[in-house]
Amino acid sequence: MRYVVGGSLSFLLAMFQASSVEQVHVAGVVPNVMLVMLVCWLVVRGLDDVLPMVAVAGITLGLVGLQSPGVVLLALLLAIAPAGFVRELHFVRSEFLLAVVLLFAASLIYESLLLAGVMITGGAFDLRGGFGDVVLPAAVVNVCLVPPIHLVMRLARPAAARNRYSYS
Amino acid sequence: MTARTLAWTSFIAIAALLMMAASGLTLLDPVESGTLSVTSPVQDVMSDTTRPVADWINNIADAGALSDENKELRAENEQLRSELARAREAAIEAEQIGELEAVRQQFPADDFRLASVIARDTSNVRSLVAIDVGSGDGVREGMIVVTEGRSLVGTVTKTFDDYAWVMLITDPKSAVSAMVQESRAEGVVAGDYGGDLVMEFVGQGAVVKTGDFVITSGLGGGYPPGILIGRISNVQKTEQDLFQSVHVDHLASLSDLERVLVLMSFEPKEIERP
Repeated sequence: MRYVVGGSLSFLLAMFQASSVEQVHVAGVVPNVMLVMLVCWLVVRGLDDVLPMVAVAGITLGLVGLQSPGVVLLALLLAIAPAGFVRELHFVRSEFLLAVVLLFAASLIYESLLLAGVMITGGAFDLRGGFGDVVLPAAVVNVCLVPPIHLVMRLARPAAARNRYSYS
Repeated sequence: MTARTLAWTSFIAIAALLMMAASGLTLLDPVESGTLSVTSPVQDVMSDTTRPVADWINNIADAGALSDENKELRAENEQLRSELARAREAAIEAEQIGELEAVRQQFPADDFRLASVIARDTSNVRSLVAIDVGSGDGVREGMIVVTEGRSLVGTVTKTFDDYAWVMLITDPKSAVSAMVQESRAEGVVAGDYGGDLVMEFVGQGAVVKTGDFVITSGLGGGYPPGILIGRISNVQKTEQDLFQSVHVDHLASLSDLERVLVLMSFEPKEIERP
């Protein structure tokens, strides 16, 4: 049941990202609400809960966009999985701070991989432009979305866990 | 790492690699086509519902630039009205001597196919849109797409039965042979990762100035000549560079296109080396 709910939510999230969020441009980039929600959910619930959502979201986003579903899926996995392992190190107590740090890193990885994919397959080889105009602004814009989305994620989990100061 | 984490990670990694291979062999095309056909009505509803919110956020994000842009647009509007008046006079004269006939033959009205944008690429690094006409409507790869105002939008890069993907000229993979209308200086208009247009390979000796119009040159056979691409917004010239750095503004906003025209009468020519 949990997988069905998580899968459905991921599907809707990917559709929302593809149809609605892509209309919004902040600092020249489209915020990746899907990645923000996946990372916040990762911080709150751990990698086990997020990986099935990554599978559904990645495939859906790939199928409704022109990027190959495999490329999107791999980029998401490589952005999310290391974040999950870092979470288990418990190097900070604050969930919010952890979400900010992990999301910034995950956004950099995700956008860099997509950028590399474009460059390898014939796109302009412009590292400065790619990082300056896309990768870095995207990471900063995504981080700005953490406060509201992380708050919703905290409220979405059981009360006992929600009231704890740090994650477990 | 738990066994479940390991299993899911392995599953996703293997699935990703298999799908990348399948995409390379176009085995996923029917699935992508079917998914977009099924989900495009849902996307339309979600997109229309959230458009006011998106517009509001975009306006806030652009607030600083809006005032300046407004002033510039007023000045440009006045200038364009004046140019329009002159162009009308010129058109009347041209019509009298039959020169407009060539233009009519180049763009016969019934050779355009109106299309709606039904999806956009979801990554920040590409500039692509999907339109609701495809190979079933006679659209083929390589056909060019223009705005309703007849300025260049891009090229059809992939067709399915009932929709097609269009690579916008702002895409980092796009390159269009172009010339400055006023001075006839030639170059290549390419997209960059910031969604802007840059005219490359314009020699230091070429006369290029801000405000000049850039049109397709027709060189290479990929685009018909004379289609408006945009207007030069900035020219940078340094003595140590081989070429000038020329930035071009597209006349329409390509980030929120809703309807476009596919030029059905033009087929790109593949020019072979001698």
